[in-house]
Amino acid sequence: MFKLACASLWNRRVSAWLTVLAIAVSSLLLLGVERLKTQTQNNFANTISATDLIVGGRTGSTQLLLSSVFHIGNLTSTISWDSYQHLKSLPGVAWSIPLAMGDSVRGFPVVATTGDYFEFFRYGQQQPLSFADGAMFANEQQLVVGAEVAVQLGLRVGDPVTVAHGSGGPSFSQHDDHPFVVSGILQRTGTPVDQALYIALEGLGLVHGEYIPASVESGDHGHNHHDHNHDDEHAEPPVYTLSAVLLGLQSKPLALRLQRDINTYRAEPMTAIIPGVALQEFWRTMQVFERALFSISVLVVITGLIGMLTTLLASLRERRREMAILRAIGAGPVQIFSLLVSEALVLTSAGLVLAVAGLFGVIGLGGELLQQWFGLSLSATGLTAAEWRLIAAILVAALFLSLVPAWRAYRLALADGLSVKL
Amino acid sequence: MSACITLEHVRFRWPGAQHHTLDIPQLSIQRGEQVLLRGPSGCGKSTLLSLIAGIHCPTEGQLQVLNQPLTALNQRQRDRLRANEIGYIFQQFNLLPYLSAVANVALACQFAPARRQRLQQQGLSVDQASAALLTRLGLSTAEQQLHAQQLSVGQQQRVAAARALLGAPALIIADEPTSALDQAHRDAFIEVLFEQCAAQQSTLLFVTHDATLAKHFARVIEFTAINAVQREAKHV
Repeated sequence: MFKLACASLWNRRVSAWLTVLAIAVSSLLLLGVERLKTQTQNNFANTISATDLIVGGRTGSTQLLLSSVFHIGNLTSTISWDSYQHLKSLPGVAWSIPLAMGDSVRGFPVVATTGDYFEFFRYGQQQPLSFADGAMFANEQQLVVGAEVAVQLGLRVGDPVTVAHGSGGPSFSQHDDHPFVVSGILQRTGTPVDQALYIALEGLGLVHGEYIPASVESGDHGHNHHDHNHDDEHAEPPVYTLSAVLLGLQSKPLALRLQRDINTYRAEPMTAIIPGVALQEFWRTMQVFERALFSISVLVVITGLIGMLTTLLASLRERRREMAILRAIGAGPVQIFSLLVSEALVLTSAGLVLAVAGLFGVIGLGGELLQQWFGLSLSATGLTAAEWRLIAAILVAALFLSLVPAWRAYRLALADGLSVKL
Repeated sequence: MSACITLEHVRFRWPGAQHHTLDIPQLSIQRGEQVLLRGPSGCGKSTLLSLIAGIHCPTEGQLQVLNQPLTALNQRQRDRLRANEIGYIFQQFNLLPYLSAVANVALACQFAPARRQRLQQQGLSVDQASAALLTRLGLSTAEQQLHAQQLSVGQQQRVAAARALLGAPALIIADEPTSALDQAHRDAFIEVLFEQCAAQQSTLLFVTHDATLAKHFARVIEFTAINAVQREAKHV
């Protein structure tokens, strides 16, 4: 019966192929959306690791998360250098990474930080940053470049770079061509780290005229001892304000208590967020779009299946002779019924196979383009349980829909019998 | 000689119809007989055939095919009986256009385990037997691999006959099988059909409106003579 269904479909291959194509394209969309959803979620969760608290000026948690980790949007509120010193001195704080943002290089954000960034920042599964070429900035005139930025701007170690003030920068509107030199290029991480440039806080202070190098001031400090400067409470701070501070704690359970302490800090209003919690909150707001996208693709799949239903129903009229022959050689109405169901399953399975092949094809061939144009990184890993469930759901839906033409063929087979008026 | 088909007081009325289409007080066809059933178009011949083939059930009366009371069998059992013991030839377009000639013949065993078994007893596979039968009916090996549409009408009807004959069913029903053929092909077709039916001792029930075919048959039944509905209609 299955072979007969295939042969019969082959006889009507033009309409059969179109049906398969409709199912394939719609299923591809559904599987693609599902994969995009889970992998984007994973990518999001992988952007930051090991950081227990992110602290910024009084603002929303999503905004703080987006600007500090994803370099999306600007932080209007800042925290003072004094508050940063306070944060560092809090009990249980193992390390801290100050971040000052607002400037850019040809659209890519510039993050001013300290050497601790390269030492303590983790992404993915506790992976540290490493250098593909060169090393971290050694003075206020050097700059580290993220992997993607290096590719896009064609930067190599030793190249000069001009930093421009981003719009919304605190009070500097004039362009500055204080030159930086690339000292190192980071390994690709697949996170927003690739999309930014990194300078020392002193570098930012110098550009903004907030900081006068110690060597110029007193003449007895070398360029290469920034950390020394940071730790020196009496020295002039390299910058007056910071955008955010990443904190690593000695033990994770401390995070909740510390968060409360920071949020109620009296000297300056601050917001502390736990990255994992904030990511989840953010993802929850994204779910509206994700569900809309998913619903649309489900509807598209239903459209594809209804297309198949229409094709099968329309074919029945032309196939009454075929049915009569099958009846004559002893096929019962039940066999005619199962013939139609098998046909629907063959069409749907072929469509699904094509859809899965298409999914891997798109990811394999177009994955780089997706990454470049939309920043979506998809990987061609095997089908997940959720994807198998979707495939099974499509098959079950096709099975149920095929009952309509199958039932009709059953009725026709009973009524027509062997006499078909053509 | 035992009976192949027996009808007693069989009446049939289509669902929703006011009058009976068939009212046959008595009809009996013996095993091995080659019978011509003649009647004008639209008089209910095809309806009678669909009753004998077990597609429809008589509204009243007794209908036995090969000693099986069809009225007592359910749909599945009647389908099974037709698959195993009845070969059916249509007027034309007997073949599935997307299968080769030999595959069309082999199709006869798809739902018929008894036919397959009889071929096995002769030590033949379904495909071997199909090819051998087509050869006997005059199709070359190359023609046997052609798709149904590529064959001439005469060849198509011989393929249809082969399908009906494969696995030696007890009864061959031919519903106007020669009406699409010209004189020469018609006679050749009937001859070959007779030969094969006789060889495997199948009963042949040949239905036509064409009186000129009567000369080929030992027994001719005029449909209007056995169907009471026709006579009544004339009186009214």
